[in-house]
Amino acid sequence: MATFVTCLSFFSVLLHFSAAVFEDQVGKFDWRQQYVGKVRFAYFDTQTQASKKLLLATENNVIASLNSRNGEIFWRQVDKAGPEGHIDTLLVHGQDAIMVTGNGRLLRSWETNIGGLNWEAVLDTGSFTSAGFVGLQDSVKYVAVLKKGAISLHYLSNGHQKWVENLPDSETVQYQAVYSGGSGEVFVLGVVPQSHLVVIAYNIEDGEIMKQRSVDAPWLSGLQPVCGVVSSGILMCVDSSTASLYTLPLDTEDREDMSQILLQSLDLAVAPDFQPVITSTQPNPARDPLPVFFLQLSPDHHILLQLQDGIISSLRDFQPASLASFATTGEKTVAAVMTPKNNTACSINLYSADSGRRLLDTSVTFPQDPTGGPPERLYVQAFLKKDDSVGYRVLVQTVDHALTFIQQPGRVMWCREEALAEVVNMEMVDLPLTGTQAELEGEFGKKADGLLGMVLKRLSSQFILLQAWLAQLWKLFYDARKPRSLVRNEVTIETLARDEFNLQKMMVMVTASGKLFGIDSRSGAVLWKHYLQNVQPNAAFKLMVQRTTAHFPHPPQCTLLIKDKESGLSTLHVFNPIFGRKSHITPPVLGRPILQSLLLPLMDQDYAKVLLLIDDHYKVTAFPSTKNVLQQLQEMASSIYFYLVDASHGRLSGFRLRKDLSTELIWEVVMSAEVQRIMEVKGKRANEHVHSQGRVMGDRSVLYKYLNPNLLAVVTESTDLHQERSFVGIFLIDGVTGRIIHEAVQRKARGPVHFVHSENWVVYEYWNTKARRNEFSVLELFEGTEQYNSTAFSSLDRPHPPHVLQQSYIFPSPISTMEATLTEKGITSRHLLVGLPSGAILSLPKMFLDPRRPEVPSEHSREENLIPYAPEMPIRSEWFVNYNQSVSRVRGIYTAPSGLESTCLVVAYGLDIYQTRVYPSKQFDVLKDDYDYVLISSVLFGLVFATMITKRLAQVKLLNRAWR
Amino acid sequence: MASPGSLGGGAVSTRGGGGAGARRLKWALELSLGSSRGRGDRQSNQGDALYPIGYSDKPVPDTSVQETDRNLVEKRCWDVALGPLKQIPMNLFIMYMSGNTISIFPIMMVCMMAWRPIQALMSVSATFKLLESSSQQWLQGLVYFIGNLLGLALAVYKCQSMGLLPTHSSDWLAFIEPPQRMEIMGGGMVL
Repeated sequence: MATFVTCLSFFSVLLHFSAAVFEDQVGKFDWRQQYVGKVRFAYFDTQTQASKKLLLATENNVIASLNSRNGEIFWRQVDKAGPEGHIDTLLVHGQDAIMVTGNGRLLRSWETNIGGLNWEAVLDTGSFTSAGFVGLQDSVKYVAVLKKGAISLHYLSNGHQKWVENLPDSETVQYQAVYSGGSGEVFVLGVVPQSHLVVIAYNIEDGEIMKQRSVDAPWLSGLQPVCGVVSSGILMCVDSSTASLYTLPLDTEDREDMSQILLQSLDLAVAPDFQPVITSTQPNPARDPLPVFFLQLSPDHHILLQLQDGIISSLRDFQPASLASFATTGEKTVAAVMTPKNNTACSINLYSADSGRRLLDTSVTFPQDPTGGPPERLYVQAFLKKDDSVGYRVLVQTVDHALTFIQQPGRVMWCREEALAEVVNMEMVDLPLTGTQAELEGEFGKKADGLLGMVLKRLSSQFILLQAWLAQLWKLFYDARKPRSLVRNEVTIETLARDEFNLQKMMVMVTASGKLFGIDSRSGAVLWKHYLQNVQPNAAFKLMVQRTTAHFPHPPQCTLLIKDKESGLSTLHVFNPIFGRKSHITPPVLGRPILQSLLLPLMDQDYAKVLLLIDDHYKVTAFPSTKNVLQQLQEMASSIYFYLVDASHGRLSGFRLRKDLSTELIWEVVMSAEVQRIMEVKGKRANEHVHSQGRVMGDRSVLYKYLNPNLLAVVTESTDLHQERSFVGIFLIDGVTGRIIHEAVQRKARGPVHFVHSENWVVYEYWNTKARRNEFSVLELFEGTEQYNSTAFSSLDRPHPPHVLQQSYIFPSPISTMEATLTEKGITSRHLLVGLPSGAILSLPKMFLDPRRPEVPSEHSREENLIPYAPEMPIRSEWFVNYNQSVSRVRGIYTAPSGLESTCLVVAYGLDIYQTRVYPSKQFDVLKDDYDYVLISSVLFGLVFATMITKRLAQVKLLNRAWR
Repeated sequence: MASPGSLGGGAVSTRGGGGAGARRLKWALELSLGSSRGRGDRQSNQGDALYPIGYSDKPVPDTSVQETDRNLVEKRCWDVALGPLKQIPMNLFIMYMSGNTISIFPIMMVCMMAWRPIQALMSVSATFKLLESSSQQWLQGLVYFIGNLLGLALAVYKCQSMGLLPTHSSDWLAFIEPPQRMEIMGGGMVL
């Protein structure tokens, strides 16, 4: 009976938390955007003229097919992240896309129409260098994969290996390229740097070495990108030191040297410090390459050259020309060249590859986005028009990872911001009030006008409100007459305004490429973007909101701290998060590398929070640094502390600010870097509110929470990864005093550890190497039944250590990331949002992670609604907040409070971006969507009428009775 | 009295005047004031004619104060005074039966139990007027008062055992302000 009761109470709790969406709510509050990442290989489907497919392979290990008409994804296959799934090369032939992944580990063939895997072959070990199609008698049947020590030939139809041969002298010779011209031989080109070139010809049928020779080339250090095969198997190389072109016929027996042609004889010269590039084209792998090739001599100088009968002639000189590319349709090959026109546009023109003549009416203008970067690569889709002339579309990839697809004559068909596949940091900023709201706010802001002025102002603002209301009514009326499909509320920066519950916010996203985005959280529309030039690929970013929108008329202000990892130099980018514009405020010049920053709750007279930047000499720079701020800082200096964590030395150090903005070291904790490595340190979120200061026990006493705002959770992992000796450590350290409040070591455990630190608890997840499972562990800190000081919390005056409770649970899945929900006042119960590798986002009630869950339920525990302890943590499919909208490779989850206490805004980012709202305690402050207004109001009106009628009847009856 | 509808009124009174007893009289004249008090106004008009003026068909009570009446008054007053005390066992039984769970019926019981003594205490002066005729007026009043207080105490005890009284620290938890932060701290991993 007792077990039955516990089960019943348990399931009633479960029922309480089932918060899945209804079918008609799909896509109402949430949206998902799918990305592929920075493109490395792109091919157009040239099978048919009307084909819409565009095949991409990206740096994020994604192979995808896009619709070239609208940029939407047809299909997408996401491989493992990291080097294991790295796409080495992508080759497309007809319906097959051949891909080598994982540094030559796997050879895969994809069906390009639906994205299905045709076949997969495991390759022999060895690092991958090159791959190419091998054709015979005008048909392509094989694919050759060149590795460091071997070459193998595979059938294109099923991936079976035809033969594999070891390469001679692979220790000394670097084999770098494979070439086949459809003649029955596969040529492998190898280089001994600064010495000679090795050419080996293999027979396609049995892999026998047909020819092998080495040619002196003391100037050659590598084949890519200075060499290419042109014409009938002639290797063409360019060397900048000797300023000459070298040619070598591959298919001869003669032991001749490479013939040298001085660039000077062609009236050409290489720009100093520039590595010249040769771009050749082989439209059909079963035939010889074309005799024309591009030679790039400087960043904006391309020449189209032709090799005819051993003589090189220049077909056309393009200067300035930033990008050049070949494209083939049918039997025609064209060259597309991009030339900068002015600061805001580039023009692309098409030239005949045979003659170098410019084709008429083929000019396309590429509007260069002032908020984007310069173009990086050009992919051309050429097609034959009805009158046999060549038409084309171009895909331009810019350095900010954006893809722009342009059709003749210069119409941008679509643009994809692939930088959003690598969001590193984000913040949500409240939208500004509308003009009228701001007007009202402004009225209460100033009080110096006197009575009459105030009244007039009040009247005028009320009049403006009335006007706005009437305009809205009129618009409603006007829109009602239009068909529904035409009525669309386009979100633009001008129409942005805060809604009444502050549910719509501006998402400011920082991406690894250095491009910033402002995205409307309701629709997912990119409202502004800004590309920061000169940001290194591995730079560290820290985004801070210095001024929110609450201080009208001061504009909101965000500051991005960018630190270049290599040079150590830091810059500040100050901008308006609503419009994305760079602020006119000049940030301080940072001469020294910045170690960390600290945003103080202190404000200057313009309501901007003060940002402190700590440099490597532990000196502090304040921004803004007006007199007022410096004075305030002097007053508060003794209560400002900061901590720095140096993971490489395993050192945590705490500093205190002095009045002269220098610092003094006050504590230091060293965790031996040989034994354990500090993985992550997390404090509490600054905007977190805790409503309840304690927990009510079963006997109605209070267990007060230990809410130390200065508490840091430090997670370490052992350097020894042996499964018997590895461990995970978690330390709770007071950031002001350096006191270790608690330490827990999880033996036989391994990272990666994901953890959340909030309120008075820390939840972390690790891999248990002994039991081979993922486990959750929760630590909760309590002060006890008495509060030491209920009015102020000072870390310096805390004589009693807190009580620490801990409990662990088995979790049936590995996790990718974890975050806790956040609400305005902290009254709503908390949930943990767990990103799973499957792409699901799980909203796990914190109630299940409660160290006070009793093993044997008692009267008190039932009174407290504690769920009896069960080692297994359930995953219920109703808890998936993103139902079937999987978020690929979720890397982070961001939560932000909304104006409604029940509602928390959630953004999950990884390869995809997903935004939704969660209601951890259900929507207790909002009427339901399906609330029956008609029924309720009709009942109300009915009752009012009924009372009126009965009142009348009662009066009549009373009168009648009185007459008796 | 001499209303124009006296005849018609007579007909009404014979049919509807069930309160007037088993009299099947067409009309009557009654002069005695004492006995007409209990009857309706209209009937008093009609009884006069049948009996001689001044005649009453009820025996006139002996209004002289007797010793037994005094005892009766005393008894009656004690009844009034002991009323609240007598209810206590009943209340205890209801308390026991309703249990300590918080649901609509126990809450209603508790409200009733608390409200009745409060109401009685509010109208205590009226009760004292009732007891005026008794010789032990003060004692009875005290007993009445104490009885009501006991009833109230019982209700409060019931509230307490149901957990409705804010007597624990947990009841005031929601009003505790978060402590003020004395130090400002920040930082993180070296960028």
